[in-house]
Amino acid sequence: MIGPWTLRGLGVLGMNQRNAGYILKNNPRSHYPLVDDKLKTKDLLIKHRIPTPPVYAKIERAHDLRPLLDKPDFPVDFALKPARGAEGRGIIVITGKRKGVWEKASGEKLTIDDLEYHVVNILAGLFSLGGDDDRAILEYRVKSHPAFAPLVYRGVPDVRIILYKGVPVMSMLRLPTRHSDGKANLHQGAVGAGVDMTTGVTRGGVCRNRFIDKHPDTGEPIAGLQVPYWKALLDISVRTYSIFGLGYMGIDFVVDESLGPLILELNARPGLSIQIANRQGLVPRLNVIDRWAEGHDPAEDLFVEKLGLLEQIEKAR
Amino acid sequence: MNKRVTLIALLLIMVAIAAISAKVLSRDRALTHPLEGQLRRCSVVITAKGREAAARIKMYLPKDNERQTIYNEHLDHEGFQIEITERNVSGNRQAAWRASLLEGSRTIQYNFACHLQENRYTINPDTKVADNPYADYPHEMQVWLDPSKYIQSDSRTIRHTLWKVTGNSKNMSKVVGKIYAFVRGEVQYKSEKGSKDAAATLKALEADCGGKARLFCALSRAAGIPSRIVGGIIMDPGTKKISHVWAENYIDGQWIPFDVVNNFYAMVPANYLELYRGDVALFRHFGVDKFNYLFTIDTERARPVDHAWSLYVLPVRTHGFAHFLLLIPIGALVIAFFRTIIGVPTFGTFAPILLAAAFREISVPTGLICLFTIILTGLGLRLILDKMYILGIPRLSIILTFVVIMVLGLFVFSVRYSQDKILYFSFFPMIIMTWMIERFSVAQIEDGTFNALQTAGGTALLSAALYFIFGIPTLRHYLFAFPEILLIIMGLLLMLGRYTGYRLMELIRFQDLAKAMGRDQRKGGA
Repeated sequence: MIGPWTLRGLGVLGMNQRNAGYILKNNPRSHYPLVDDKLKTKDLLIKHRIPTPPVYAKIERAHDLRPLLDKPDFPVDFALKPARGAEGRGIIVITGKRKGVWEKASGEKLTIDDLEYHVVNILAGLFSLGGDDDRAILEYRVKSHPAFAPLVYRGVPDVRIILYKGVPVMSMLRLPTRHSDGKANLHQGAVGAGVDMTTGVTRGGVCRNRFIDKHPDTGEPIAGLQVPYWKALLDISVRTYSIFGLGYMGIDFVVDESLGPLILELNARPGLSIQIANRQGLVPRLNVIDRWAEGHDPAEDLFVEKLGLLEQIEKAR
Repeated sequence: MNKRVTLIALLLIMVAIAAISAKVLSRDRALTHPLEGQLRRCSVVITAKGREAAARIKMYLPKDNERQTIYNEHLDHEGFQIEITERNVSGNRQAAWRASLLEGSRTIQYNFACHLQENRYTINPDTKVADNPYADYPHEMQVWLDPSKYIQSDSRTIRHTLWKVTGNSKNMSKVVGKIYAFVRGEVQYKSEKGSKDAAATLKALEADCGGKARLFCALSRAAGIPSRIVGGIIMDPGTKKISHVWAENYIDGQWIPFDVVNNFYAMVPANYLELYRGDVALFRHFGVDKFNYLFTIDTERARPVDHAWSLYVLPVRTHGFAHFLLLIPIGALVIAFFRTIIGVPTFGTFAPILLAAAFREISVPTGLICLFTIILTGLGLRLILDKMYILGIPRLSIILTFVVIMVLGLFVFSVRYSQDKILYFSFFPMIIMTWMIERFSVAQIEDGTFNALQTAGGTALLSAALYFIFGIPTLRHYLFAFPEILLIIMGLLLMLGRYTGYRLMELIRFQDLAKAMGRDQRKGGA
């Protein structure tokens, strides 16, 4: 086993330091509801003209689901998710409908009873933070951008960007695997690939806290892939900061084949595995921003200034 | 920020240490009345060997009265339930310990301190013995006039002896004095195994304190004076098994003590502690193979350590509950340590505390078997309920009902199939189990079986650790004597709250990362 001094020397951010030094200090508790509830997040994003997957319907009573899905013009593919779900919990992605039965990307078939029961569980707060009552969202099913094709087995990859004081500080591409059941969460078995902040090109990947070079399902090399719309993702990130006022947050983007970059959700407590995916510690990068923030007000939308820091951030050790 | 928190934490710890030292050093805290003479401390240790069946042990506990004050009562009786009752007629205070299943040797310890005073009485020389005692004395005195099984005041020999000793005298002072002189002078003291009754004492003319006191009582009652036995301990320093018995006669509206053995006429000395009134046995036990007890007595000139606001002022029967309350913050500290320094995942933050407390009531192996049986079958049930699309809250309620049925079932099963080995669950936490079933199945669906098992393992590990910590008797005693320790715990938790170092589990988690970064750095340097 390695010693704590080794990690300290490499600038790896630990859970306690993240909580006490960054989250508690920079994220006012009163702003949490804005990111913990996806419907509130979406309202704010739409108000500020930041793209997010369109909502077809929000459901507050389980018996509203049937008439809604029976409407002839209701899309046959959609995502069903809890408004307050944490860590990708409780999300079902429906890719189509055949003979009155809905299908997931995995081919699993779901009847109207299955869907209704899932909605019941969502409303009862099974997936929500703290088990509070919740609402269910039916929204546009994102289709993966063709640029990701070599690394997509099933599901849609997403791009996580960590934003510190409004500056994008580290990023990773999260690739669903067969093991993660189409989900892009690392603790569920998805692959994470570090992304160069200046170019948007991927580095090697990590799966279940261990390094890998090739995607476990497609066998394609993980490094060297250009994330499409990279500059746009950075721009949107910087704009998002002033809306939500969270000093340390994670933004999850998806890149849709027709709608382009969309914000899927925001996270006030982004995980630490991003460091493993990038094979770098967060602390030196955060320090670069802290030094910069001494002479500037991070609340201003200083696009050029903030994005100008990326070179320095990328080199920080 | 860090400095301020550390300062506050250190301040809390210092305040607690100061309060504890003050308590230890200055033993002269306020008492309800000033202390003259000595403080006597007594520790009663009872050892009982069980027969793997239900057992009951009873003992009379001292009470405050006009000449004795009891302090610092402290009970330690793990494995027993206690009930303390005040008896109806005598007003005696009796502790009854129960164990549903007593296996092996167990110890009950009862500690207390007392302050005793000498009391002398005078008998008015004009007082006459009542001609018709049943009419002259109030109704509640009848019981002390009636003959009883071992105090045969109605027997012919007793009546005859009374006539021989007192003649026709009706003067109270003379009658009592003659009875006293007779029992003291004519009956030889002899230590015996098992006391004699009044008639046998009169016949043999030799007895121990019990026999002599009973004869004194019988003669007094025969003379129409309400009289009763009083039992207690002579509180001289040392270790002993012997308790003592003397008598009291009701004269001129007050009970006046007489000890014919140690020659205290109308007085009770400062080393006599009264435990009970009436001709009863100090200890009684049922379902116990071997029974032993010892009194250890010390005296000191100091006042009792604890003062009016100490936890010792709580009624003794609530001490067990206070012990448990005091252990909760200790449990929380241990959990906070394991979670922020080591990084052990658990279902809920405080569930392990309640589980550990439940394990303390039943034994760990039995507890774990029950817990696993109930949780595994509960998970099966939840799977079935999921297939039937049952709404969330009714589903939880069904699982809770199922858990209750399982617990009752195990209870009945244990009675039915292992004779008298009865499993005892007083607050085996049903709600916690129901909730753990729910959390486990959600974790299993969402994060995979491996993650769910890991968290379950973390919960079990912490519960077991807390089980052993909760079992340390010294910890319980010190917490009870010095609840200021809770301030120290708050200080430690404050410091833990500003700990920003790595968790032990992170050293494993980031192991590969550190190696890879080390390689990158070497490459960059070359």
